Amino acid sequence: MSLDNILNHWSDYRKGAEEGGHHEYEHRWAMAINLDLCTGCNACSTACYAENNLAVVGKEKFESGQAMHWMRIERYWDQQELEHPEQGASFLPMMCQQCGAATCEPVCPVAATYHTPDGLNAQVYNRCIGSRYCSNNCPFRVRYFNFYSYYESSWPEPMEQQLNPDITVRDKGVMEKCTFCVQRIRTVKDKAFMEDRSVKDGEVVTACAQACPTSAIVFGDTMDENSMVSKLWKKHQVERGIYQKTKYAKKDTDLRGYRIFEELNIDPSVMYLERVREDI
Amino acid sequence: MTMVTEKDINEQIAWAKINTDVLKSMENPRPAYWITLAVCLAMVACAVLAEYIQYTVGMGTAALNNPHMWDMYIAAFVFWIGMSHSGTLLSAILHLIHADWRKPIYRFAEAMTTFSLLTAGIFPMIHLGRVWNLYWVLPYVSDRGIWPNFRSPLVWDAFAITTYLTASMLFLFVGMIPDLAICRDNTTGWRKKLYGILALGWVGSDRQWRHFRKIYLLMACFLIPLAVSVHSIVSADFAMSIMPGWHITSFPPYFVAGALYSGCAAIITLFILLRYFFRFEDYMTLPIMEKTAKLTFAIAMVWTYLNLIEFASVWYGHDVYNKELLIAKATGAYAWIFWTMLFCGSVLPFALAFRKLRRHMPTMFVVSLFLNLGMFFERWMIVAPTLSMSHEPHQWDIMYGSIVEWAIVFGSFGWFGMLFLIFVKVFPSVSMYEVKEMVFHRKRSAGEEDLARMTDHAKPATQTTGGGGGA
Amino acid sequence: MSGKMNRRSFLKVMGWSGAGVALTGCDMPTTVTLEEGKEEVMSYLMPEEYVIPGVGVWYASTCTQCAAGCGIHGRVREGRVLKLEGNPDSAVSNGKLCMMGQAGVQGHYNPDRISTPMMRSGGSLTPVSWDKALAMLEEKLGAVSGNRFAWFTGTVSGHQSALLTNHLDAMGSTNHYAHEVVNNAVSRAVNQDMLGEANPRLRLDKAKMIVSFGADFMGASQSPVQYSVQYAKFRTNKERGLLVQIESKMSLTGGSADLWLAIKPGTEAVLALGMANLLLNKIKLSDAGIPSDVRTLINSYDISKVAKITGVAGDRIQRVTQLLTERSPSLVLAGASVEGQTQGYATTAAIMMLNHILGNVGKTIESAGDFPFPQLMAKQGGTADLVAFAEAAKAKKLDTVIFHGSNPVYTAPESLGLTEAMANIGFKVAISQFPDETTMAADLVLPMSSYLEDWGTQVPADQAESSAIQVQQPLMEKLNAETKGFGDILLTLLKQRKKEEYGQFEDYYAYLRNAFVAMPTSVKNDAQSNDEFWNAALQTGVIKVDVGAKDLQSTVVSFAAPVVDDSAGLTLMPSPRLGLFDGRHANLPWLQEAPDQISKVVWDSWAEMHPDTAAKMGIENLGLVKVSSVQGSVTLRVVLLKGMHADAVAIPLGQGHEAYGRYAKGLGINPLHILDAATDDKTGELAMYSTRVTVKRVGPPDSLSIVRMGTGAGDSQVGRKLVGTVPVEQVRRTEGT
Repeated sequence: MSLDNILNHWSDYRKGAEEGGHHEYEHRWAMAINLDLCTGCNACSTACYAENNLAVVGKEKFESGQAMHWMRIERYWDQQELEHPEQGASFLPMMCQQCGAATCEPVCPVAATYHTPDGLNAQVYNRCIGSRYCSNNCPFRVRYFNFYSYYESSWPEPMEQQLNPDITVRDKGVMEKCTFCVQRIRTVKDKAFMEDRSVKDGEVVTACAQACPTSAIVFGDTMDENSMVSKLWKKHQVERGIYQKTKYAKKDTDLRGYRIFEELNIDPSVMYLERVREDI
Repeated sequence: MTMVTEKDINEQIAWAKINTDVLKSMENPRPAYWITLAVCLAMVACAVLAEYIQYTVGMGTAALNNPHMWDMYIAAFVFWIGMSHSGTLLSAILHLIHADWRKPIYRFAEAMTTFSLLTAGIFPMIHLGRVWNLYWVLPYVSDRGIWPNFRSPLVWDAFAITTYLTASMLFLFVGMIPDLAICRDNTTGWRKKLYGILALGWVGSDRQWRHFRKIYLLMACFLIPLAVSVHSIVSADFAMSIMPGWHITSFPPYFVAGALYSGCAAIITLFILLRYFFRFEDYMTLPIMEKTAKLTFAIAMVWTYLNLIEFASVWYGHDVYNKELLIAKATGAYAWIFWTMLFCGSVLPFALAFRKLRRHMPTMFVVSLFLNLGMFFERWMIVAPTLSMSHEPHQWDIMYGSIVEWAIVFGSFGWFGMLFLIFVKVFPSVSMYEVKEMVFHRKRSAGEEDLARMTDHAKPATQTTGGGGGA
Repeated sequence: MSGKMNRRSFLKVMGWSGAGVALTGCDMPTTVTLEEGKEEVMSYLMPEEYVIPGVGVWYASTCTQCAAGCGIHGRVREGRVLKLEGNPDSAVSNGKLCMMGQAGVQGHYNPDRISTPMMRSGGSLTPVSWDKALAMLEEKLGAVSGNRFAWFTGTVSGHQSALLTNHLDAMGSTNHYAHEVVNNAVSRAVNQDMLGEANPRLRLDKAKMIVSFGADFMGASQSPVQYSVQYAKFRTNKERGLLVQIESKMSLTGGSADLWLAIKPGTEAVLALGMANLLLNKIKLSDAGIPSDVRTLINSYDISKVAKITGVAGDRIQRVTQLLTERSPSLVLAGASVEGQTQGYATTAAIMMLNHILGNVGKTIESAGDFPFPQLMAKQGGTADLVAFAEAAKAKKLDTVIFHGSNPVYTAPESLGLTEAMANIGFKVAISQFPDETTMAADLVLPMSSYLEDWGTQVPADQAESSAIQVQQPLMEKLNAETKGFGDILLTLLKQRKKEEYGQFEDYYAYLRNAFVAMPTSVKNDAQSNDEFWNAALQTGVIKVDVGAKDLQSTVVSFAAPVVDDSAGLTLMPSPRLGLFDGRHANLPWLQEAPDQISKVVWDSWAEMHPDTAAKMGIENLGLVKVSSVQGSVTLRVVLLKGMHADAVAIPLGQGHEAYGRYAKGLGINPLHILDAATDDKTGELAMYSTRVTVKRVGPPDSLSIVRMGTGAGDSQVGRKLVGTVPVEQVRRTEGT
């Protein structure tokens, strides 16, 4: 955050944001979620709780809206004019979209959230002073705040033995959110580094993608052209970078891939594939 | 036709009388004062208890959740910062345009500014999840080599508010120096010692007066852009985000207008209270009240206009999120707050357009309180509905604040009241030297007129001014 | 969009092995030496050489959170299991895991686990030593014989099941009551009669169209993960599969349907017969194999009659039936809400008949072959055994019962009189992990190890693509020294009766090793030695079994004509769900905190009704209602959902525990208690979906622990593109499916 940095790289940043990133990214982690396969079963959400030491807040606090589900399954009813929802429910797994032009990053007063060279939006727990501006500025509302010291009650002995030592247990007053299982990314990157090779597609898999019974979640590196996620993004003509609607409009608008709130120009790293219904 | 315009102040008041009247207000207080002070302290105690609970248990005791990450604290914060613009308006802006009617009332208005800022400053602290790390927002040389995020409006807030607070305090203090000298010369005991230190050796010499006038003018000029920028920066807390209902270009002037409005209404309230309790009828006169009320009315209309701009831009803007939010504000769960705000803010000020009502103290007192209620609701309407109805419909929620939050907001009024009550008993709440200017000034010109009429001579030669004249 | 991620090459999957044997050659990661069979807690002052602090070690095992028996991988760090994932080598889980499987660690580390044996004295349970407990067992079991002794379990399989059967033999008893609330017992009976096999292989991935009569195959079913994996293939096949769900309450699977049809509860047989009518009489498919009485029955159900009775529009029925013939092979499934009726067998048979007519048998319903180890096959639970148990106990025919893996005190309808029944049983033993209701009613409680710290084998009944024996191994040392594995307890009991036969096995580990040695070479897959076979089994977590190829017969049995109950009142649907399941997972906080997939309620019970029905009764959303059957009533809040038939009220299962630990006790209500004791005419299974209730408003809307979702948005996307939907024609063009 030095003045030097800002002045020297400002034009890089602005230019880069339009063309998909300002860093020399070594990776750009992204996801593709096929909403046609998502059954809303909650396996991903529960796996996330297990992997990331998420606190169970209990009945009253959940009701107050203070739950900590980094990955939440939203369930919408379309066709509400009909007597019955004839095409089922619309499930949306929603978690931090790791936006390329994240709106949460500029507003944190202490720079506790920043963009990593991997294309992730990182949250630094020990720098966060809890002003909660980042959460307010997130259009997806996927940032969760530790309103209480959950560690005091969420893991009665011996449940604390389940905690993943690769990730901290957060105390009250700090913001947290999905990190694309950054601890898994780090482990794999370290291993690849020590073995003097690059990370292979499929080597890093987030907890949610790993659990999903229908394989609706695909995780990978869009810098790797051969990764499954890259191929999906390319197939559905969704590109990184902002100003997609005007500059890089999809040639085939019938393709299923889209990003949520694309018009806000925040370059999310998660692409959704529309769910399919046969009208009979 | 010669109109006999009502004078702002009775010009026959002797200077000595001004001294006595104002100094009398600082005498040992009556029981009513002690009771009021006790009530204020009790309110502060409530707030302290609530904050203790919040500090030890966590921010969850405030009615916060996802999506409502900000609530009453930020609304109260903006409200108090807004109220602080009263002093600046009266002291600085009206000083520059030679609106002399401000002279009896600007002292307590400036005090109000300082204390509002001190009250507002509490809120950024207590609303943080980790209050003890608040100082990370300030740019100090840390051994981690990390600076605050200068792109964040909250950091701008930190700079702006500390600057404004410092400048206001200095302005208040410097402007009080001649008065403090008067106090020093007319008191004994601990007061004499206190004023002796604070008066900085003022003797009222010509040289001192000239320096004083320059400094005062400079500070006034400095303070005006500061005031405008402070509240613009506070508005940037909202305007720099992408949230519907916040991301509005007209927010800086809207906030400044609202601040001035809030400040003026508070001035009216305190005007009436001080006038009644300290029997300042000779100084805080009805004509001055009228002028203050007219000023308030003008600002109310500006605020109304800016509101209409916001509505109009939402209407022709075709931004779905903003449009649905505005409709929800008017018809949804917060509708009662919205309409109260509009009534108090745009309809009620018309009471200030009637001379009879302007001069009726009880009416003005009630009206000013409601105007401020409207302004408080305005702040609430800025913070809460946007968060309750943002982009993601899954995360829509209505929150009304928790008891801990309301206790702290309630206590902040007690804190402000406590500071103000102490101020009026320790420092002169009417600017004695400036009132003397008003009286002397007019006395002189009135005397000249009489003489001219009587003798039909040319204007006498300019006399040298003696101690306390105006430039 | 398929392509399995081959994680195997990135993992070092460890296995336990005998002394000092390393694998030679091949690609497998090195196995290690570990002391076998040690029951005590091992100090980690001298960790094994492969344990690197900070680096996780993976072991393969099997999940027992439901009867599916998914293979899992457990991540172990510093001797503690942290996270469970699916085992890619398991054909059941295919490397995936559902939320119940993920929450297995919470059961393992649960603070409310029973840590010592307990004996009832003076009305309450007090801790005793194992010696005392075993002495009492020996005494009591010695005093009883024949059918006065019984085992009451859930579904059991694998070597544990074999040992259990052996113990029953040793006791001279044939009373094994196997009880599961979530069961497919009626389907099994129909399958056995019509196809010749109780558990054929269902191939959703080969179907082009699935019509599911309330079969929640991706939710609370016999194998949610396996069927979800198949569903993914079903949808991503070259020709995208079409799912039609016909039920009275929207299940999780119903949420993914292309067409969801609400049907009047209890009329599914009528719909099936109507569809058969169209298939035979209009579309003119062959009626070969259909008995004449059934044929006559079919003929009497014309489309307008069917539409009137079921509430499903005639044109819809015709369209669905037509598509079934066009999208071949198809698959028609019957679910719990169909099986659980007084005419469950008949209705399920009528639905299976559709498969017969459509020629699906052999295409999407395949034979499961001949499993070479019948003694290891699953003894699957149902509710007929619960009814029989209650009757036997009430008639004072049982003296000693050992309970394991089942909670009848919680699940039994009060009308069965289980309280009286339990009181009549002189000596009740519970082998249990948690203080659930049945355990707390026992006279002797034996603390059981969790599945993550225990040995075993599982043979899931539903293995759709290939057959295997799933291996279960401890992922860490026991948390509490005093718990014992189920296999170990069985072995101890057997040693009490048949010392000469079982005395040679020091513990269950030893028994299993011996059993593996005894397996035929066909199963050992070219392993060079028994140790190699053992290591390989533990490393992969599965022992593949060749079941040969077989053809299924396809016949249609005679079944009773449907009788439609037109009486007043709504039909109660006590719905199990993926999550708390039948109530067994109410003590796992992750599963309590996970919102119900359809209604999004957490930590509570609720009733679901259609808004129109509620409006007629003056009931508002989140209002307090009293749901009353002849047997009793419950009071709870209501959530109005359009995914309901007007004549149904659903109360999802899972809450209402009176014991079971801090997370479960005192939350919500248990609708199972107010069910009628009606049973299916043919199989004797409880007709859980045939209870009539009345619903009355008793209080205004108030808060419910429901995700405060979209306050004001009404659960809609309010025109914002969050979940987009495209018609399949568009996808056919762009993605070629």
